[in-house]
Amino acid sequence: MKKQRVLWICLVAVLSLITLPVFSQGAKDSAATGPVAIELWYGAAVTEAGPPPADWVGYSIIKEKLNIDLKLTALPSNESDQDVKIQAAAAANNLPDLFMVRRDVLGRLVGQGLVAPVDDLYAKMPIRTATHYDSVSQSHARFAGKSYGLADPGSINKNEGLLIRKDWLDNLGLAVPTTLDELMDVLRAFTYDDPDGNGKNDTYGYGAFQEINNYEAWPGRRLEPIFGAFGVDGTWSLKAADPGLMVLKDGFFDAMVFLKKMVDEGVMDPNWLAYKKDDFRAAWKQGRFGVMREQNAAFAAESNYAPFDKNFPNGEWIVVDAPIGPGGHASIGPYTASFRIYAISAKAEKAGKKDKIAALLEWMASDEGYYLLGWGVEGVNYTLDKNGVPVADQIANRDLAFTGSVGQTVTQLRNMVFYNGDIELLARYPKYITATSKKEMSALEVLRTMQTKTWTAAIGSDTLPIPNADLKRFYEQGLSEFITGKRVLNRTNWNAWIEQFKKLGGQSWNDSAVAFAAEHGLLI
Amino acid sequence: MNKKKKVHLRTVSIAVKPTAADHSFNLFVDAFLILLLVVIAVPLWSTITLSFRPNDYIGNNLEGMFLAPWKWSTAAYKALLGNAGFVLAFKNSFKILVGGVVCALLLTIPLAYVLSIPTLPGRKALSILIILPYVFNVGMIPTYLLVTNLGLIDKIAAVFLPGAISTYNCLIMRSFFEGIPNELKESARIDGATEIQVLVRIILPLSKAIIMTIGLFYGVAFWNDFFHAMLYLNSNSLQPLPILLRNILMASGMNEYVEVSAFGDAPIAAIKAASVFMSAIPMIVAYPFIQKYFTKGTLLGSVKG
Repeated sequence: MKKQRVLWICLVAVLSLITLPVFSQGAKDSAATGPVAIELWYGAAVTEAGPPPADWVGYSIIKEKLNIDLKLTALPSNESDQDVKIQAAAAANNLPDLFMVRRDVLGRLVGQGLVAPVDDLYAKMPIRTATHYDSVSQSHARFAGKSYGLADPGSINKNEGLLIRKDWLDNLGLAVPTTLDELMDVLRAFTYDDPDGNGKNDTYGYGAFQEINNYEAWPGRRLEPIFGAFGVDGTWSLKAADPGLMVLKDGFFDAMVFLKKMVDEGVMDPNWLAYKKDDFRAAWKQGRFGVMREQNAAFAAESNYAPFDKNFPNGEWIVVDAPIGPGGHASIGPYTASFRIYAISAKAEKAGKKDKIAALLEWMASDEGYYLLGWGVEGVNYTLDKNGVPVADQIANRDLAFTGSVGQTVTQLRNMVFYNGDIELLARYPKYITATSKKEMSALEVLRTMQTKTWTAAIGSDTLPIPNADLKRFYEQGLSEFITGKRVLNRTNWNAWIEQFKKLGGQSWNDSAVAFAAEHGLLI
Repeated sequence: MNKKKKVHLRTVSIAVKPTAADHSFNLFVDAFLILLLVVIAVPLWSTITLSFRPNDYIGNNLEGMFLAPWKWSTAAYKALLGNAGFVLAFKNSFKILVGGVVCALLLTIPLAYVLSIPTLPGRKALSILIILPYVFNVGMIPTYLLVTNLGLIDKIAAVFLPGAISTYNCLIMRSFFEGIPNELKESARIDGATEIQVLVRIILPLSKAIIMTIGLFYGVAFWNDFFHAMLYLNSNSLQPLPILLRNILMASGMNEYVEVSAFGDAPIAAIKAASVFMSAIPMIVAYPFIQKYFTKGTLLGSVKG
């Protein structure tokens, strides 16, 4: 009897569990007669910082001023997960009204007739178009003569530079190297002449790790200044006169020979093939090497520079020009223009929401929307300094400031309003005095200096076709084997390897990318 | 009685003298187990020490594993527990866990029991119908369409309902039920019990081990399920822990770009490690309590007749 009662109680509890919380819906759609409901799938600015809270002031302002009931969904942080979610929703004709999407997925959605053209919207958003959409941007999401995506500016270009330990140069009485040969001399001195004067043989010339992406193939970004000296930096040449894979160009072999020489002479930190990003960054902060390519804020932002400052109060890194190679080439590396594309579903267009979406985006670009979405509420999340730049240090509650854990949730949409303008950069990279050496640092000044250096334009090279996994493996493994000595690097072996690479699909990869670049007007 | 047994065992161990081959074998087994322990313990220790790493730490991961405990920092754990999103995600995961396990067991037990009845008409055809989608999965899009048409998009049930019956778990449970002596069921039926009463009063009390085991299988799967939550849940307030965990793990060193972190002063690597460790805690806590059933349940289910 007792058992039966217990069983009944359990069953009732189970049914309650199932029917109450489990089937509860996250948010109800607004009533059909009320404000226009707009569902936005956005890319979060700080993926791990949670979404704007339910009582975020932005919801009420948008409803009051634009008569829009905004429903936000943060897209997954990983691009391939974003693609899956969007394509599954597309298959069920369940795309949201406005959503962030990658270009190649957008192309597929265009083919399926699931997204609306946006050419007519630029004129309806004069403020936003002036700040966000130039001609490159407007053509970025163009398919068959129509623009199907609003391509907002992405990350900052040319934000890396070649850095050298000035204090080591001074200790050794050396000048800043300008050519590749001079650089090699400096690397040798940094490795063998005890540049830090500690009496130990514990330093190296050049530090790197393998950082590879679509447009910066092996050995990747950190060694681009070396390959740039031979005119073969980046995966692709987009020169109209000589387009194609850099690995197929003559200079690439010479660059490989130079890199092999750096490795063989021991002037490269020998851990460069094993380092991960964090190891690499820990290594320069420990004074392990004296030349590197690094990102402006990863080098100079307060929290990133602090350990180096603590370890080496007299240490000094300076941004230098890319070394000039034997043929007169020099480049820090390739750069491309990145965009965040927002598309409007055909369903939203049919429902007559397109103008409302334009109004929403234009409001985001107004002063009110720009500051609210970029930094939050004045006095609560930020204050303005004498130059009109939002700052966080006057906010008493650190968590609420736009730099704090709570403040970040209300600025999750900031990538929809930022366009890398001066105010954003000044707010992002404030000047500061270092804790130990008491010197003034500014990641923004470092950025500006880096941007003055020589770079190789490769706009759109990140959108070119990618190789299949087998070809990619052959490419990366083969090149690294030449450098590590598993393959002997000479002309005969190199030519044989290139031939094999072409046969395995390298030639067709090259040809398809060149055709793609020509078709999309990427050649210069 | 127990004393007698112990004495007997001790006598046996003295009587059998290990040979050199036994020693070699034991040495090999010991070495293998130590190696296995190292393979398991090192990544775990690495994650734990990483989660306690202070913000001003400089050094590589290997050095970090030997950082003195008095230099550890709890900033990452404080930041996580103080983060409203983490607490909400934990609650959502718990709802999915409880709802999913309850729902899955409520559906799997009757199905497994029905399939275990040898005299069930059409038993073979039913079995094929159940096994067929296990072998030939319909894929993501048809399932998504089904979930959409059922009106489950953006509801927590969408995460566990499509996978509420695992064919594999059902077959294990069926084997277990088939192993229960038929005489027990027959005698209950002779006493006038219906099939439901047989299941509830005879079978289930004898099946604690398999229920706990299968419940654990389901629990682990639902607790860790990232994909279905990512696909079907849109509301930010419904996101479970695996989604947040993925977002944290994907955070690519924000300090590169901005001067701030969503988790205050804790280094992002420590946050990542702490979130991995904390999300594993419920399963780590549950396992010791279920372990005794776990071994029994899986073994009993594997032997028939």
